[in-house]
Amino acid sequence: MLALTCACWASAATAGAGQAKAFPYTYYIDDLPNGLRIITIPTDYPNLVAYYAVVQAGSRNEVEPGKSGFAHLFEHLMFRGSKNFTPRQRDEIMQSAGVNGNAYTTDDRTVYHLVFAREDMDKMLELEGDRFQRLEYSRDVFKTETGAVLGEYNKNSANPVRKILEVLRETAFKKHTYSHTTMGYLRDIEDMPNQYDYSIEFYNRYYRPEYTTILMVGDITRAQSVAAVKKHFGEWKRGNYVAQIATEPPQAAPQKAHIEWATPTLPWVAVAYRGPAYSDTEKDLAALSVLGQMAFGSNSELYRKLVLNEQKVEALGGDVSFRIDPELFTVMARVKDAKDVDYVRDQILATVKQFSDTLVPAGKLAATRSRMRYEFALSLDSSEAIALNVAPYVGLRRTPETINNLYALYDQVSPEDIRNAARKYFAESNRSIVTLATKAKAASTEGGQQ
Amino acid sequence: MKARVLMALMLLAGTVAAWAAPQGKTAAATPQTVLLPSRSPLVSFRILFMTGAASDPKGKEGLAALTASMLSDAGSRKLTYAEITDAMYPMATSFTSQVDKEMTVFTGTTHVDNLERYYGLIRDMLLDPGFREDDFTRVKTDAINFLKVGLRSENDEELGKEYLYNVIYPADHPYGHHNAGRLSSLEKLTLEDARAFYRDNFTRANLVIGLSGGYPKGFEARIVADFGKLPAGTRTQVAAAAPPQAEGMKAYIIERDTRSTAYSLGFPIPVTRADKDWPALAVVASYLGQHRSSTSFLYQRLREARGLNYGDYAYVEYFPQGMFQFEPSPNLGRRSQIFQIWLRPVEPKNGHFTLRAAMYEYDKLIKDGMSEAEFERSRQFLSKYVNVLTASQDAQLGYALDSHYYGIPEFTRYMRERLATLKLEDVNRAIAQYLKPGNMRIVAVTKDAQALRTALTSNAPSPISYVSPKPQDVLDEDKVIQSYPLPLKEGDVKVVPVEEVFQ
Repeated sequence: MLALTCACWASAATAGAGQAKAFPYTYYIDDLPNGLRIITIPTDYPNLVAYYAVVQAGSRNEVEPGKSGFAHLFEHLMFRGSKNFTPRQRDEIMQSAGVNGNAYTTDDRTVYHLVFAREDMDKMLELEGDRFQRLEYSRDVFKTETGAVLGEYNKNSANPVRKILEVLRETAFKKHTYSHTTMGYLRDIEDMPNQYDYSIEFYNRYYRPEYTTILMVGDITRAQSVAAVKKHFGEWKRGNYVAQIATEPPQAAPQKAHIEWATPTLPWVAVAYRGPAYSDTEKDLAALSVLGQMAFGSNSELYRKLVLNEQKVEALGGDVSFRIDPELFTVMARVKDAKDVDYVRDQILATVKQFSDTLVPAGKLAATRSRMRYEFALSLDSSEAIALNVAPYVGLRRTPETINNLYALYDQVSPEDIRNAARKYFAESNRSIVTLATKAKAASTEGGQQ
Repeated sequence: MKARVLMALMLLAGTVAAWAAPQGKTAAATPQTVLLPSRSPLVSFRILFMTGAASDPKGKEGLAALTASMLSDAGSRKLTYAEITDAMYPMATSFTSQVDKEMTVFTGTTHVDNLERYYGLIRDMLLDPGFREDDFTRVKTDAINFLKVGLRSENDEELGKEYLYNVIYPADHPYGHHNAGRLSSLEKLTLEDARAFYRDNFTRANLVIGLSGGYPKGFEARIVADFGKLPAGTRTQVAAAAPPQAEGMKAYIIERDTRSTAYSLGFPIPVTRADKDWPALAVVASYLGQHRSSTSFLYQRLREARGLNYGDYAYVEYFPQGMFQFEPSPNLGRRSQIFQIWLRPVEPKNGHFTLRAAMYEYDKLIKDGMSEAEFERSRQFLSKYVNVLTASQDAQLGYALDSHYYGIPEFTRYMRERLATLKLEDVNRAIAQYLKPGNMRIVAVTKDAQALRTALTSNAPSPISYVSPKPQDVLDEDKVIQSYPLPLKEGDVKVVPVEEVFQ
């Protein structure tokens, strides 16, 4: 045990050197016969265990029209009772155990997470096993929960970024389920109270061992973790559903959309290009990810110009999404004055062109690689943080090894790879631009410019 | 196993060392330190100055925050801000400031590989700041936009929560303005103001250096020597007495074009983490509305049973950014706190009913107290939840600094020990003593403020309808809630145009 833990720290300490693996912890993968995967990561942080159940189903799996937002609604339903535990009983057990738990849904995955004291592991997995295999909720409870989801939509609707992302998806995608956000369309959310039967269908399709990976990180051994998961999930029946997710055809022409915001806010401009799918073997995604940092990160030339020197932009960022299917490379800027929106958009487009035309300096590329490695190393500062940061990769490839593969690819990305990726993806026909600004009338209440 | 025990001992040793540090309030010859060495490859800094928004001079509200930004988000004399961000870039590090009423903390974490370079940068930022005009213009514009755009128009919940503090603490109280200041004063602040605030407040007397992680032997002595070059100064004294508050309920409705109605309500309490009754009140708040937890009482009644909104929580300490964070940030120590209930946005048609439901449950808690079973669950929860609060190295350091401020032992041990001896009657006595019926201050954010005002002052019934059938006990309770009297008369409810908030 001593040797093992020391090895963990030692490799973490050399994470920046370039040869060491980006994910410094020893991990163990165990597959049960039913298809359920268990990943155990022992750490030095005392007392606690972080449990992350990653279900490879998210809003990407909402294939039927009118059903957007269902993966997220389903995440809510998982808290509404199972065969052996009413929500009240479950809550009381969790409360007594001082458990910190919640869940989230995104395009490709739904993640249920708990952090508990190691002595409570058996009870916690019993609760989890019950809801994953024997969820039970009535029609009435279902309807009540759809109200909470509508409340969540309403609460989020005060934020203009939510709206921009919603419109951007609709603009860039016509066939693929990425055309809607995880929250879903308002019209679908409003119709949710009538969709009880579909919710059962959704559970039967996706809440299956072959879609699920259980990640256990903390003060725990592999044997303890596997025994506990086996005991409570071993009888879970494998399913056979595979969603037919439409492929998005290539974009034919540049797209544009504008959002009029009803209340005073700062204008936004978003420029997006259709990008590659996640890959830890092909260089495109790694190259675009490095490019995002170099072109639009906090020490990029553009950031320096627009945010620090000219002070026309308050926030700027750009990155490629890590998704199962091809999604977007998106640049967003929050502009201080509406009159500068066109200028900022043109500056973003000029930067994109510059990366397609010229090679990035090797020194800057090396600094960016170093940054990406240390950024990841710095994010691993508790058992929960480790689980939190590994979960997205588990959602994509079901193993932490993909992190090491990806960071190894970053090390191989050359200035030519970056230029080639820019040329390949930053074509005008591949582009969508969405802007958001306060409606003229609302602006007048602030500035009086009617 | 040996390794684990060793680390636990080292952590403990660090905490003990912290307690040996001087805690006096007069100027210390060498800066005070809180040290938590461990074998982690990461090193965390929390450099804390006992000054903040409560020390903003009159008419210069926002100066403490702006001065902190001039240190954390601006250049040093040696390097411009762009050069600093360049230097931090390959290390993936940052340096940030958090300003509250009485604390200003600068935080950053680096991999130990980069410790020397990182420390060199932040040392110069704090000890030899550049105070350049272009940095000042930028951070000032950011501060103005934060209040004007970020709070007033993009986050109804934080708007309501922050305005509640403005309502409870009168404008002339040291806590009587937002940490970021007031728009009217921010506009007038100058670079010279920031220099003067830095000179007077960033002194050895106000300084506590927090350091944790795998830093090399002797590193802490170097920091102490470097920061020993700050002027001695005297510890900032703020008259942060509990605010005066007239009896009776008052409501403030912020009018803004929004889809839903958000509520924050509360009143001041004369209890902080330093007081013997704090663990009891922490149990009460956890029972009534543990942050972002589905197990608490209000959540069960308002969201689970009725589907009114996304969640309903209660607090006995300041907890900003609660919509983005599951755990509170450390280093928000205050000598005056409020009891607060946060009702997440509801559909406007249910606005009156929801407020009544919350007040009905709150009044019931005062009348009946907690039961033995409820008490036991909440107590057990908190005893273990303290592990979660301090799960990361940086959080452990933050809590250690807060314990230093409040003069209590290491937080997790303190809470476990206090909770172990706490009795139901202590908690029910605390409820009776500190939770008053009817002296609540209510802030609502909604579109049709006049309609809500009329509803509240007329006290007319506010029946509710559901999309799904509800159990009879809920429907029976609804009949009581829909006419539950809120003691609000004509003069008690004020409509506040959003343009006036934080002005």
